[in-house]
Amino acid sequence: MSQLVNLTIDGKPIQAPEGANLLQTALDNGIRIPFLCYHRKLSPTGACRMCVTRIKGQKGLVMACTVQVEEGMEVTAFDDELESARKRTLEYLLAEHNEHYDGTYYDEFWYWIQHYDLDIPENRHYPNIYRQMHYPVDDTSPILSYNASKCIKCFRCIKACDEVQGKNVLSFSQRGIASYIVAGIDHWDDSECDGCGECVQLCPTGALVEKPHREEINLERVEKTVRTTCPYCGVGCQLLLYVQNGKIVRADGVEGIPPNDGRLCVKGRFGYDYVAHPDRLTHPLIKKNGTFEKASWDEALDLIARKFSEIRKRYGTQALGGYGSAKCTNEDNYLFQKFIRIAFGNNNLDYCTRLCHASTVTAMLKSLGSGAGSNSIEDFAQTDCLFITGNNMIETHPVTATFVKNGQYKGTRVIVCDPKWTKMVNYADIWLQPKLGTDVALLNGMIRVIIEEGLIGRDFICNWVDGGMEAFEKLREKVSGYTPEETERITGVSPDKFMEAARIYARSATAMIATGMGLSQQQVGTNMVFSLINMMLITGQVGKEHAGIDPPRGQNNVQGVTDIGVSPINFPGYIPVGNQDNRRKLAQLWDVPFEDLPDKPGLTTVEIMNAAYDGQIKGMYIMGENPMMTDPNLNHTGESLQSLEFLVVQDIFHTETTPYADVILPAASFAEKEGTFVNSDRRVLRVRKAVEKPGLAQEDWRIVDQIARRMGYNVGQYENARDIFEEIRQATPILAGVTYDRIEHEGLQWPCPDTSHPGTPTLFLEGFKTSNGLGILNPVDYTPQTEPASPEYPYVLNTGRMLYQYHTSTMSRRNKALSDFANESYVLMHPGDVRANGFRDGDRIRLSNPRGQLQTTVRSSQQVKPGELFMPFHFREALVNKLTRSDLDPDSRIPPYKFSACKVEKVEMSGG
Amino acid sequence: MLKLKANIMRVQRTPRKEQQIDQEPVDLSLLDSLIEKYKHKKGNLIPLLQGTQDLYGYVPYEAFLKLSRETGIPLNEMYGVATFYTQFRLNPVGKHIIKVCHGTACHVQDAETITDALEDALKIEDGETTDDGLFTLESVACLGCCSLAPVMMIDGNTYGKLTGKKAVKIVKELKISERN
Repeated sequence: MSQLVNLTIDGKPIQAPEGANLLQTALDNGIRIPFLCYHRKLSPTGACRMCVTRIKGQKGLVMACTVQVEEGMEVTAFDDELESARKRTLEYLLAEHNEHYDGTYYDEFWYWIQHYDLDIPENRHYPNIYRQMHYPVDDTSPILSYNASKCIKCFRCIKACDEVQGKNVLSFSQRGIASYIVAGIDHWDDSECDGCGECVQLCPTGALVEKPHREEINLERVEKTVRTTCPYCGVGCQLLLYVQNGKIVRADGVEGIPPNDGRLCVKGRFGYDYVAHPDRLTHPLIKKNGTFEKASWDEALDLIARKFSEIRKRYGTQALGGYGSAKCTNEDNYLFQKFIRIAFGNNNLDYCTRLCHASTVTAMLKSLGSGAGSNSIEDFAQTDCLFITGNNMIETHPVTATFVKNGQYKGTRVIVCDPKWTKMVNYADIWLQPKLGTDVALLNGMIRVIIEEGLIGRDFICNWVDGGMEAFEKLREKVSGYTPEETERITGVSPDKFMEAARIYARSATAMIATGMGLSQQQVGTNMVFSLINMMLITGQVGKEHAGIDPPRGQNNVQGVTDIGVSPINFPGYIPVGNQDNRRKLAQLWDVPFEDLPDKPGLTTVEIMNAAYDGQIKGMYIMGENPMMTDPNLNHTGESLQSLEFLVVQDIFHTETTPYADVILPAASFAEKEGTFVNSDRRVLRVRKAVEKPGLAQEDWRIVDQIARRMGYNVGQYENARDIFEEIRQATPILAGVTYDRIEHEGLQWPCPDTSHPGTPTLFLEGFKTSNGLGILNPVDYTPQTEPASPEYPYVLNTGRMLYQYHTSTMSRRNKALSDFANESYVLMHPGDVRANGFRDGDRIRLSNPRGQLQTTVRSSQQVKPGELFMPFHFREALVNKLTRSDLDPDSRIPPYKFSACKVEKVEMSGG
Repeated sequence: MLKLKANIMRVQRTPRKEQQIDQEPVDLSLLDSLIEKYKHKKGNLIPLLQGTQDLYGYVPYEAFLKLSRETGIPLNEMYGVATFYTQFRLNPVGKHIIKVCHGTACHVQDAETITDALEDALKIEDGETTDDGLFTLESVACLGCCSLAPVMMIDGNTYGKLTGKKAVKIVKELKISERN
């Protein structure tokens, strides 16, 4: 905390931190000095000249936004001269301003025009000349419209793009009175604008207005605004939803609170249309003679209860299984896992984390005792070095990436390790581009460099690592073979690059690691993360502020669903199912006989499918998941689902999985219910109801509760989500101190063991969560892939996500803005390979291997290496998981989505 | 007519219909040595734009894309600077550049009628180039010979004490001499 200084504004004594902005200080103290170009998040511009003040001892009028407060400062904010100067300034702006207002945005400029009575034409001195200026309109972007005749040239949009989002897409064109904003070369749609809309949110006039729903929205008719948490990725951005006619018509970022401080990405801001989409499921559906027919809740629930009970009775408790959902709230999932454990009587329950972060979590649990990210989102802007590996965060966690860019601008050294080009490469000091699947060798090579050059943290190893220097010697031995030459031979990365990267990481005062799917979705995913953690432990880049390892969670509530126990091996709070004390405690809390709570680990996601295929699992309950798109080797998954006797799918839309169901249940979307999500930095965030559920749809937890009741089990008595959360607190020690009241304004980070605990922004400051509090080194060797490229299948296919679509795109493709940006499948191929195969950019090609085949469009791009391909997995027209395999990582049971050999051929168009 | 390919090193989205730019294709390899020279220098934007204009007589659209791709300077920044300074042209110029002075003295002596007359005679607006590629018409600030106001300058020759008619006559004579 910096020192406080005393000043007066209009005679009012004020205390403020030394160096604080004078305008902000005035505003914080209720003195409303007019301003237009200033914004709390941006560096001061001093363009609009509205915030002029007089400071004793200084000549002339001083713009408050450009001044820092000092001890003894005497400021005059309002007197006749200042007010008349402001009025004159406004009048000049008004003379070249298009005054037309359509009610679709909040106009700060017009507020001050009215304040100074300039809306009355008689009070003005100058004629309006905006028509003579022929100001352009750029209407080409899918998400916004720029009208230069309403622009007051305040720089807020340019600075929003540069300083907040770090994108640098906007500039002024021309000069003086003729100047206006351009994106790229004066054509918004061709520019690199990715549609985050930060500029729209910060525009003080209507020069930049968002396009979606422009026809319907009218701010005067907006019924309410609701604060909630974004339903897309795991950043957990706080949204303000505008509701008009019972429908969401706009989403803004909530300013001033973590994690996003008003920032959003294109999905968060423009991706809410799906909530009101006509495709929403509105009635329970029962399959009769092969077709789905509408049914009442009673009919559907009775059928489900009867079938599940029959299966349990006939085949035993192990014949049932369920998938929870990272898209649903903690409350929904808590009840779901309680239901599986009590009503199914087993631990055959899992969810998508198995397909994303199982290997990361497994490695982190073994080495550090906790699988959660160690830092807070703000730390990405404050660490000295960030090692980003297998993590395309500009597309998958765009708002986290903005903090990285902010840090990079201030001097964070950024190292990107990715076999495919990502936008973050543009911000990186070094880009390491290893061959697919060779990360262990690269990391071992880097560890060897760190050891050879004496860059290890000896004290840290002695005090924080299990086995101390002895354990370290074992690691040194293990990596000794990874000489720079050998590492280069395996990975294809030149030694000067990875040696420099190793030095930067080890020497930085603080360094963080952002890992991701690139490392985890591998056949040796756990080993890859082990080697990453080894590097972190020997350099001591953990256990202090702004250091550690962070695997950003892919979905909004991946973190929470694991926390509250949707896991085949853990009860709520990461307590192993075999822990008898906890089992006893839970049995009491849940009011069930101790011996009825299953203590044997259950089957994982892909294992449940395999068991279904083998006839061991007969009935399944899938809540908000779409395995027919996300599981590897989809043809096999289809056969597995087909061999089930009874399948219930609960979702908000028909998905690729619903055709296999016997009963489909309509659920409520994020905007239609109360509850909580937990984001990637372990922050428990509120989800609030904004609109009504369509048709007969119900909250997931209410449906689960009903099924349990009809099966004859009691999973609790709850009035609302808050009641369930109260029970979650009792079952989950790390969340015990979190209450709805405490997170009303902003989220709390677990562990938070009691209600007076302030939450934990950084993990491991007082040791690791292992049994003895020490970190464990796990030396590992590089192992070659079991399915390398071969003469018959010469290409290696990598899969991943893109900015504009989201996972199985059930939600995202039902938004016009997102689909306008990107709505088609493609495969990236190196230009040399494109030529060698006789393809041209844009050709339709077929990818195939023994597991399946698909057709897609080839995009010639140097973003991938020769011999490697990249495809997004969002598109049902080209189901990339028909090609991926289910050869699971032995430690974590994660499938290797990032590595499948395949061949390519041109699709000949029929009919000429 | 030139069709432009989007820069491929960016976040993937649906390819847009290629923007039609009304410019002749240029030999972009001419830029290589210029880029080599300035690539890693601080404050290289204006020298790069000037060098490009020296090569082509203007800054072609395609050149913006190549410069940005290879130097990492964002397109918007280049475009902002190039449109800020009058020294940069974004379109090809004619063989002869007609600079009509609109400095204070010439303004007072009604330089506007000179520009109007030339616009009518050449059938172009201020800043444009004639279809035959012979003339580009420009308004400039003071040419420094106020005693001769109103003045214009064509290829380094100054013409003073003009009227609209006189100015048109001078240009027409130049056009005739071009034909011979």
